[in-house]
Amino acid sequence: MAGRKNDEILKRREFLQMVLGTSAGLMLTPGRAFLRTAGRKETGLKVLVLGMDGLDTVLLNRFLEDGQLPHFRKLAAAGTYRPLRSSLPPQSPVAWANFITGTNPGGHAIFDFVHRDPKTYLPVFSASESLPAKHNLRLGSLNIPLSGGEIRNLRRGRAFWQILEDYDIPATVFKIPSNYPPVETRQRTFSGMGTPDLKGYYGLFNYYTNEYKTVTEEYGGGGRVHDVYVIGHRVEARIPGPNNPFKRGHPETFVDFKVFIDPVNPVAKISYQDQEFILREKEWSGWKKIRFEFIPFQSVSGVCMFYLKEVRPKFKLYVSPVNIDPSDPALPLSTPESYSRELAKKFGPFFTKGLPADTAALENDVLDEKEFLAQDEIVYQESMAMLEEELKNFRSGLLFFYFSNADQRQHMFFRLIDRDHPAYDEKLAAEFGRVILQTYRDMDRALQLAMEKVDRNTVIVVMSDHGFCPFRRGFNLNTWLLRNGYHVLRPGTRPEEVSLFQATDWSRTRAYGVGLNALYLNLKGREAQGLVRPEEKEALLRELAYKLEQVTDPLTGERVILKAYLPSEVYSGAYLAEAPDIILGFNRNYRISWNSPLGSFPRELIESNPQKWSGDHMTSPDLIPGVLLAGRPARLESPALEDVTAGILSLFGIKIPPEVTGRPVF
Amino acid sequence: MVWWLNKAVGSLINLLFLPFSSLPPWVAMLVISLLTALLMLFIYKKISNQQGIRRVKNRLKASLLEIRLFQNDMRTQLQSQKELLSANLQYLLYNLKPLLVMIWPIFLILAQLNLWFASQPPRPGETFLVKASFIKTVDLERLNLDLEAPDGLLVETPPVRILDEGQVAWRLKVTGPVREPLVIQVNGERYQKQIPAGKSRLSRVSAVRVKRNLWQELPYPGEKPLPADSLLKRIELNLQPQRLSLAGIGLHWLLAYFLLSVILGLALKGLFRVEI
Repeated sequence: MAGRKNDEILKRREFLQMVLGTSAGLMLTPGRAFLRTAGRKETGLKVLVLGMDGLDTVLLNRFLEDGQLPHFRKLAAAGTYRPLRSSLPPQSPVAWANFITGTNPGGHAIFDFVHRDPKTYLPVFSASESLPAKHNLRLGSLNIPLSGGEIRNLRRGRAFWQILEDYDIPATVFKIPSNYPPVETRQRTFSGMGTPDLKGYYGLFNYYTNEYKTVTEEYGGGGRVHDVYVIGHRVEARIPGPNNPFKRGHPETFVDFKVFIDPVNPVAKISYQDQEFILREKEWSGWKKIRFEFIPFQSVSGVCMFYLKEVRPKFKLYVSPVNIDPSDPALPLSTPESYSRELAKKFGPFFTKGLPADTAALENDVLDEKEFLAQDEIVYQESMAMLEEELKNFRSGLLFFYFSNADQRQHMFFRLIDRDHPAYDEKLAAEFGRVILQTYRDMDRALQLAMEKVDRNTVIVVMSDHGFCPFRRGFNLNTWLLRNGYHVLRPGTRPEEVSLFQATDWSRTRAYGVGLNALYLNLKGREAQGLVRPEEKEALLRELAYKLEQVTDPLTGERVILKAYLPSEVYSGAYLAEAPDIILGFNRNYRISWNSPLGSFPRELIESNPQKWSGDHMTSPDLIPGVLLAGRPARLESPALEDVTAGILSLFGIKIPPEVTGRPVF
Repeated sequence: MVWWLNKAVGSLINLLFLPFSSLPPWVAMLVISLLTALLMLFIYKKISNQQGIRRVKNRLKASLLEIRLFQNDMRTQLQSQKELLSANLQYLLYNLKPLLVMIWPIFLILAQLNLWFASQPPRPGETFLVKASFIKTVDLERLNLDLEAPDGLLVETPPVRILDEGQVAWRLKVTGPVREPLVIQVNGERYQKQIPAGKSRLSRVSAVRVKRNLWQELPYPGEKPLPADSLLKRIELNLQPQRLSLAGIGLHWLLAYFLLSVILGLALKGLFRVEI
């Protein structure tokens, strides 16, 4: 809100953004409505980048050899096909931030999905933060925010489209991860991974049933089960919305809805607000608008999908996370703000939540494999329609377009192509074992569409941020630290019952693990109750790194951690000091366990992963490179993500700025 | 009687809108608002006591002037306030009579305009609900019920019977041009419902067919009423609402109609020497 005059009247949208930021952990960015689109320059050469999250070299090679991907083959033959070195760690927010800024995490300050607050030792999201309104007026049960809350994109460094903007080169950047809220620019951008749902979660589904069922409402997402009763062929329930910033205590808002079930037919009518629609059993509703009222004349709009899973004998209704309505976004989704509304006008509602596929619903058996794929197919079809539209309007400069499908489906279906995975199921493998191949073919179709629509002056670049490998076994880092005396719990504590370091004796603890690849020292002067003196740091880090690299899995005899990286050896840049103290590069088939990243101490040091989330990418980056295909020969044998950024800038004849550490790949 | 009255008004409006079917709906709205303003001015001039209104408005002006001139004279102030109230009441009474007369044609026109501006006809590929409401005594579970869709319509779902509300609903999809009506068979009786179709920018959309009843028929003049002895009370299509676009903002037709009629009425009152 810097620069806002005190007497300036808040516009309604800004006001809503402000108060939502306060309540739901979200925020606002001011003044976007007045931005004009940048880049009037007609560039002779155009660059189209298809960002296909998680495309893996090993699998791509296999499918290419089998002749399954004719358009990938054609592009590779015309120019370049190389493994693309991923970030350290090879997590999507980190990797895409490398690409966005053309540098390593030391330059953009995104080191992991999750960081920690050194004052509290608690995990915090790395990508964005929300700051509540500082001043509120309380009138009875009413709470009127008087000053602005704020939502901040925590990625540092300039995005490549901001550099293009300096040279008046137009760019459209669609759903690139690590760009929520979208950074200020006059280019057309739409936020991607990291964009929350309307509640401020990374996706919270609702499941209504009269069957006994539990699901995990996890850190930042998951789902909620609502016990309902079928009385007189009718179900009455409510959909939870964002917290109400206008009421004291910020209670959750709700929208009541009714389901009328036919006495015999497997079909039901659902009604709420001005919506009324009929679903057959096993049918998706398509997008439905929903409005959550705060106080009279103040409300926010969302969109969600209903899926009538079963009518009888048990009632089962799934409602997707409520996405921010792109036609009336309560929170910043795009630059300029009108871009979101333009898209909504053309296509109707669409997925705005960062990662649209509901992996939590599949993980919790709320959706089965077929249902999950049906939902993800909607995501894919939406993306294809929008890609086609953007290609139609692509006349100059750069177009970046993102696909999430390969990443999400590989996370959930790797177990069905890996016979050694604890969750491998022969029957399911027979039915869904070709899902990953099919997904790569879907990506091939997207490339085909691009090849058909672009002109000869367009350089097509296909890239992924990382590859994939099985996630068979999980390593409990905090358990290891505990057993080796680096972490100490208060006497009488049962370690397996602890979460969020609630029983840690910080006065005797030297190290702790938060996040998916990160280890931190309890450093004096940095952590709230720091113990390790700065002069002890280096020796302790080397000791820890050495010992961690020696950890072997008694079940397989394999090393769990291939390399424990010290940031001073792998990062550079202005934010090096914010890096974790050790970054773990796991071996193939391994990653951090489910519970360790949030400050827990499970009993087993290394445990099997029986879950559907069975593929992952937290290994040493050398093991799972992404891919780079381009219609131009590459200058570098082993390019990295940031080299693609430099390559794009050089294609437009732009001198590489000093903060971009990549070398031009083209 | 109501049906024939509605039919007569409807025919006039249909004829009036015929030249505008391919133009933006705003054109027809402007024309009907202008005609409404003229009609209302005409009725008002004929029905109201124009001399009395002129007199009472003069009294109002005089009282306001007194209040301004004699600000330091409490007694005159109070008398002027009393006179102001009295003149206001008189003014309202003078308006009551023309209002009572005007309300009937306005109601008939509104019911017709609702057909033209309230809902969008479903386009190919779109789905909509058909809802049939029955009288309370009907047992929906024993009812012999069938839905016959004409060419261009596909019945996508079996019926949803909502017993305690006496309602049955289906979901239909438009697959092509629809020329014939939809037929609901109830215990062998056939009831038709028009399905709005057409690509013109301005089209007449009857979303509701009601049973013969004065107060039901008046607001829903789109189709001949269902027989009075029918088990069916109402057949309704759940269609997308239509909005008149003004600088990117969707405006409800009723608001547009009232605003335009009032503005045009006030603008033209001098021309026709109508004292309002």
